[in-house]
Formats: sequence, C-alpha cells, structure tokens
Amino acid sequence: MILTSKKLILRCGLAGLLLIVVMVACLMIGSRNQLSTGEYLSFFKALHGPEIDGLPNVHYEIFFRSRFPRIVLAAIVGAALACSGVVFQAILRNPLADPYILGVSSGAGLGSIIAVMLGWTWTFWGLSALTAASFIGAMGTVWLVWNIGKVTGRVHVTGLLLAGVVVNALFSAVIMFLSSIATASKFQTTMLWLMGNFAELDQISPLVASGIIVLLGIVFLMLLGNQLNILSFGRQDARTLGVPIERTCFLAFGCAALITSVAVSLSGLVGFVGLVVPHAVRLVAGPDHRQLIPLSAIIGAAFLVLADAVARVVVAPAMLPVGVVTAMVGGPFFLILLIRYTKTVHWGNA
Amino acid sequence: MSIIEMNKVTFGYEQQPVLKSLSLSVETNSFWAVVGPNGAGKSTFLNLLCGQLKPDEGKVHVDGKPASSYSSQQLARILSMVRQEFVPVFGFSVRQTVMMARFYRRTSALFENADDIKAVDAALAATDTAAFADRPLGHLSGGERQRVFIARALAQETPVLLLDEPTSHLDLKHQIRIFDLLKQMQQEQGKTILLVTHDLNMAAQYCDRALLLGAGGAFFQGLPEQVLESGQIQSIFGVQGHQGQLQQRKFFIPLGRFSMDRPEKPA
Repeated sequence: MILTSKKLILRCGLAGLLLIVVMVACLMIGSRNQLSTGEYLSFFKALHGPEIDGLPNVHYEIFFRSRFPRIVLAAIVGAALACSGVVFQAILRNPLADPYILGVSSGAGLGSIIAVMLGWTWTFWGLSALTAASFIGAMGTVWLVWNIGKVTGRVHVTGLLLAGVVVNALFSAVIMFLSSIATASKFQTTMLWLMGNFAELDQISPLVASGIIVLLGIVFLMLLGNQLNILSFGRQDARTLGVPIERTCFLAFGCAALITSVAVSLSGLVGFVGLVVPHAVRLVAGPDHRQLIPLSAIIGAAFLVLADAVARVVVAPAMLPVGVVTAMVGGPFFLILLIRYTKTVHWGNA
Repeated sequence: MSIIEMNKVTFGYEQQPVLKSLSLSVETNSFWAVVGPNGAGKSTFLNLLCGQLKPDEGKVHVDGKPASSYSSQQLARILSMVRQEFVPVFGFSVRQTVMMARFYRRTSALFENADDIKAVDAALAATDTAAFADRPLGHLSGGERQRVFIARALAQETPVLLLDEPTSHLDLKHQIRIFDLLKQMQQEQGKTILLVTHDLNMAAQYCDRALLLGAGGAFFQGLPEQVLESGQIQSIFGVQGHQGQLQQRKFFIPLGRFSMDRPEKPA
C-alpha cells in the first residue's frame, strides 16, 4: 500500500500508454472521412509528407495540420485542468472544487478578454499578453476564494460553491458586456469561447511553450504531493506535522492558477474536467497526491482528447464546443457528488 | 530540566479571558493531565504550546526558545499532537495517515524509506491498529480513528506528546491500553506527555502533574493528589461528588441530583 517510485513510474507508464492509444484513435476520427474527390482519407498517405509528386498532400494536411495540433491542444488543456482541480480540492479540503466551479477559469477568461480589448499583442518566448493577463485574472480569483476560506475559518462546501457561482456569473456578465460593446463578430467568438472551444490552429509552435509550462507545473505540483496529502487533513494538523502552510499554499495555488490560465487562454472555459477526472482516478488509485497528480494529468489529457473527438464528430460536419461535451458529462456527475457529500459527510468543525 | 515554560501567559477570545497570568514549567519526562470544564481553555492551552496561537501577554518557551520562533518543521521535531476527532475528506488509509508523521524528516525526498516503514509498523502495533492498516480512515469507528491519530503521533518520534482528549471515544479496555502505552513511553523512552482529558480518575491514576483550569482564568497546578482534590473539583466544575482513595491515588465520583447516596444536599 505504500507508494514507491517503482510503482509510481509503472502506473504513470500504463496511463501514458492509454493516453497514446486514445490520441492515436482520435487522430483517426474526424468530421470528414471522405475528400471532395471521393477518395477516402488515409493515414498511410498522410505519412508521405506535406507533398506528393509536387502537389500538396491533403491527407497530410488533415492529419498533421488540422487534427494533430488540436489533439495536442486538448491533451495540454485536459492535463492542466485535471491537475489544478486536484490541487484546489486538496488545499480547500473540498472534493467538489474545480477551477471552473470556483470561478478561477472565468477569472482567467476575464483577464484575457481585457487583454484582447486593450489590444495587447506582445509575445515573449511563445507566451502572449493573453496568457499573462489571464494568469493575473486567475490569481485574483484564487486570492478571493482563499480569503472567503479565511473568513469562514474553513472553506465550507456549500459556501465555496455559492461563492464560485457568484464569481462565475459576475465575471461571465462582465465578459459578455465587454464583448458586446466590441463588435458583432467578436461576440460570436466570445460566445463559443465561453463554452470552451478549441480554435482552429494551423501550427503547433504556440503549443510548445504552453505544453512546457503545463508539464513543468504538473511536475512541480507532484513534488508537493506529500505536503498536499497532509494539508488535506487541515491546517492545524499540517502545522504540527511540519508543513510550512503559507508557503505551500502559495506555491501550490500559484502553480495551479498558472496552468489553469494557460489552459483558459488556449481554449476558453472548459468545465468539470478538474472535477470528474480526479474523482475517477481517486476511485482507482487512491488519494495519495504524489500519484494522484500525475495520473490525473494523464487521464485528464485522455479525457479531453476523447471529449473533443466526440465534439468533432457528433454534429459533423459542424463542430460542438468541447465545453458542451464536458459539461454534459460533468454536470450530472457533479450533482450526484453534491447529493452524496451533503448526505453522508458532516461538514462540521475540523 | 524543563522542556516547556509558560510565564504569566494571558490569552482571551474577543475580550473573554480564557487564561489569566498562567505560569508553569513542564519538566522533561513528566506526565501532565490538563482537566477542567468545557470552555475553560484546555485546547487553547495546547494550541499555545504548539505555536498555533500566540499569547496576548506573557511568554511560551519550548526547549529554551519562544514557541513562535520555531518554523513548523522545527517544531514537528519536538512536539506531536493528537487532536479531537474529525472527519477526513479523502479516503487515506490508516497506514498512509500514520506515514504522514514521517514527512518532516525527509522534506526533500518524495518517498518513504525503510526507517519510516519500520517506525510506522511499530506505531501501528503499539496502538492495536495494524489489523486495519489498509482500510480507509472514513470506514473506521470514532474510537479506532482516534487510535490511528495516536499512532501517527507516536510515529512522529518526538520528545513531547500533546494529546487533546485522546480517549474520549474509546471503550474501557482501549482507554486503559492507551494510558498504559503513554505511561510506558514516558518511563521507557523518557517522553514528556501533556494530555487533556475529562476523565479525572484516569488522570489521577496515571499522571504525575495536573493542571486544573476553571472559568475566567482560574487554575490550580501541582501534584495530582493536591490538584484533583474534592473541594477544588466541586467548585471548578460546579458539581457534587464523592472522593475516595485507592493505593494512594484519589478518585472522584460525581453524584447527580437523583443519586441515592449523595453525601450532602445540593446548594
């Protein structure tokens, strides 16, 4: 029952294998399976490279320029959201916490909308002003949630959810207001974005920087696994067990907010990934955060890749925003959990 | 040598005084019982010792230095604490929970080593919790869970143990086992133990020092036979009772209004 490095590597390897299988499978699925010439899409023809006999290779275009970046994007966003869901749940000692439910995602969204409105377009080493602004928005919301927790002594499950609902509604309203005073076309984009949408990407390079940040963030959070385990027993216990509480919470919240804001600036508001995935992983692998964090990241990536494949196929040739799919899965799941936790657990003093 | 020193400590919540000018000195290798009615400041007393609360006035010294000057990691080397029962949020197993006590020793390593596993196994065996070591905490009874938290404090291997009502959910057999175990640790390993309890008779049986806290900052401290004396108990708790003696240890039986053989009529 005690976690060793061997067990951890083995389990992450297995989950990684699952992720690769899901990614390859979803690469084969799409809204178009037949070209306008009547020819069927072929992965083997795609492997010939960008050109065949001096002509652009359509197969290559679809597989590697259209689907592949989108799948990588989904994987990055899924990993980031699932991982920060785990962290929020541990520190707030609340199994229903999730970056979307807490309003951290909409805080990040508000930040990036403001950046767009102000016309900030600078980039630095693949990081855009958009990401920076959404990070500020996410941190601001985390600060808000943290202080709600401080006032009540402990972040109570319903109090926290109420705060999240209010923050979410407020920020979404501001986002809608800002985009409606912009232009009509922007309004349409914002609507899609609020529902969580993977924009058409024609290149993979902006994904590299985001991918590196998210990966580093996940590794860093995994190294805080022991501290998060102990913090989930409450701050008083954590102090006498030797965890520096303020520093740990600051680092873990900061890192979770960072990867959430990277995810939001890539994809908009995708909900419930940080709720559904950690729960499922905990059921199978237990609550140890040293393991829960990397496994949730990998399974979160696979989950969102799969959800995106559904979004691409289900109303083909049109595409659904992926947030619609995750909300359809996650919403009922959330309600079941809410009923279960308010019934069986006494959220009294700790 | 004293390991904990309190000098004229005053503490209150919102102008309601809880402790008033409390001075005491806890010798190394002593067994203290802290008793008193609800709200008299017993948990507050423990929280002042572990740096969770800071006194309004006065000084709290642990091992020669102010309690507040320690980092949480440094303090975890000296004090371990068993708190009152609570409901865990996630499904950590008994073994995982006890293993958390070893964290402060290896802050840079992610995984437990052989020493950690040995210490945890010993703590599980000592508290009679090894049988359900791999079950989640949430599936245990309140009493079983309390023993797990005692095991965690043992696995922390600190010279001082603070316990906040560690036997409140335990049946008679396990109450005695825990007190026996604590006494044994005091005698064989030289530990210093401070224990908050409502059980005056267990306190009188096992402790060699007692602190009786009353409302509004009143307190008595000293040898158990002096502190846990009938008149003081009756005035601090506001109950009638009968005091007897068994092998030089005093015991106190509280008597209710309808008790048949109460010694005197309630005032």
